[in-house]
Amino acid sequence: MTKDIIAFWGYPEKELIKETKKEYPNAIWVDLDIEAGAPDLKYLPENYCAIIKNIYNNALFLKDRIIKILAPIGKDKCDSAYFTSEILKESGFSVIQSVFEDVCQNIKSVKVPISKSGLSLREKVELITKNIVEQKDYSYLEKIEPKFGFWGVPPNDLSLLELFPCQTEVFGWCRAVEAGYPGDFQLESYVNPDLPTVFFTQAFCSKTQLAKYLANKYEGLFIDVDGFVNNSIRAKIEAFIKLR
Amino acid sequence: MELYIDAGTTWTKILKIEEEKKLYKVIPTSELKKLDLRPNKATGHSILKSDNYENEVVALANGAKEYLEDDFIALDLGSRDIKWVKFKNKKFHDMDWNSSCASATGATVEMLLKFYDVKVEDLVFVKDKYAITCGIFGLEKIMDDVSMGVEPHIAISKFIHGIAYNAFAFTKNPEKICISGGFCENECFIRCLSEYCDVVTLGRFVLVDGLKSMA
Repeated sequence: MTKDIIAFWGYPEKELIKETKKEYPNAIWVDLDIEAGAPDLKYLPENYCAIIKNIYNNALFLKDRIIKILAPIGKDKCDSAYFTSEILKESGFSVIQSVFEDVCQNIKSVKVPISKSGLSLREKVELITKNIVEQKDYSYLEKIEPKFGFWGVPPNDLSLLELFPCQTEVFGWCRAVEAGYPGDFQLESYVNPDLPTVFFTQAFCSKTQLAKYLANKYEGLFIDVDGFVNNSIRAKIEAFIKLR
Repeated sequence: MELYIDAGTTWTKILKIEEEKKLYKVIPTSELKKLDLRPNKATGHSILKSDNYENEVVALANGAKEYLEDDFIALDLGSRDIKWVKFKNKKFHDMDWNSSCASATGATVEMLLKFYDVKVEDLVFVKDKYAITCGIFGLEKIMDDVSMGVEPHIAISKFIHGIAYNAFAFTKNPEKICISGGFCENECFIRCLSEYCDVVTLGRFVLVDGLKSMA
């Protein structure tokens, strides 16, 4: 089978993406973080981060087609990703580790037009992750007056984002990614204190502690979801939005 | 006629208004399924979501609003879930809803009472409590204690004390809790919760009253 895929997770360092694009101009880029229906190979313990499970399942499912994996392992991703990169290397993949820990000078002046736009929340988050590779300019997007905030990473189950109105501003790792500083703790921790905000993490992710801390600090709603969104989580978000 | 329904897992609470007269009723949810009722608004786990469906926490918040305006918590402890809301300066402030684990709520208590043939009025306040973050472990402790000679009604009372303490901790240790749901009628539970904070009982019909206020 022809190898035609450059796989990655998180936000690989910009130069690495650029060089890889130049080296493989016709390659298909696949974000291994995203649940795409690959069979669950039970490579990891049952109770483990759904995103890391996706990485394994997608990588092993596409193994014959993957040229190389660009693997963020720094503060811009997590320790689990470091172990994943080493294990996938031992499993025969070509893995290039990436550390993207740049910090910005002023977290309030970063350009995040997608996060502040009137697109649906799902479109915003999908566009931010898509733009890791595409690097298009979205400064033309119209800024809207936000009513709510969503803090966190792209959920394994993106339908969670459909519960929010379009007037939801994006914060957390997603915003940091759009700004081009995925490892900047200050930027990741920033929210608008005047907005009622939902602080989301995947269950079993170390960001859970930051989400809980920030939810308490800003009187927001903390939720962690393992795998797919159930009715209780839906109802909780729905109530938070209706009552706030 | 107006009809408002809170269809819980075990019990369904109904508010019927006819010629401005309010009639409250509780029926087993198993019976509700046999009736062809057309409510103006409905909430609860056992009702199909349709245009007149309202979120349970929203119904609770609206029903308890008059008690919440002075910053206290309204807690609804049902058969299979526990939820609370808090208002601050007359604005919604905080909430939580735990419905993932039903092992330390009303249905478990009803099951234990039936299993050990204990009447709810036989339950008493006991200072000891089981640590029942997980109700399944709580059941194990009850069975252990009973096998060691503890009276079942004492063991169940310790379990209820554990539920009361959990409710207090789940609502972030407030000074006062306004409690809604079937546990309002459980004197042992109310006495146990009073060990930790002031308790006001709102009765079983807070959610249907909330639905009415939103109609």
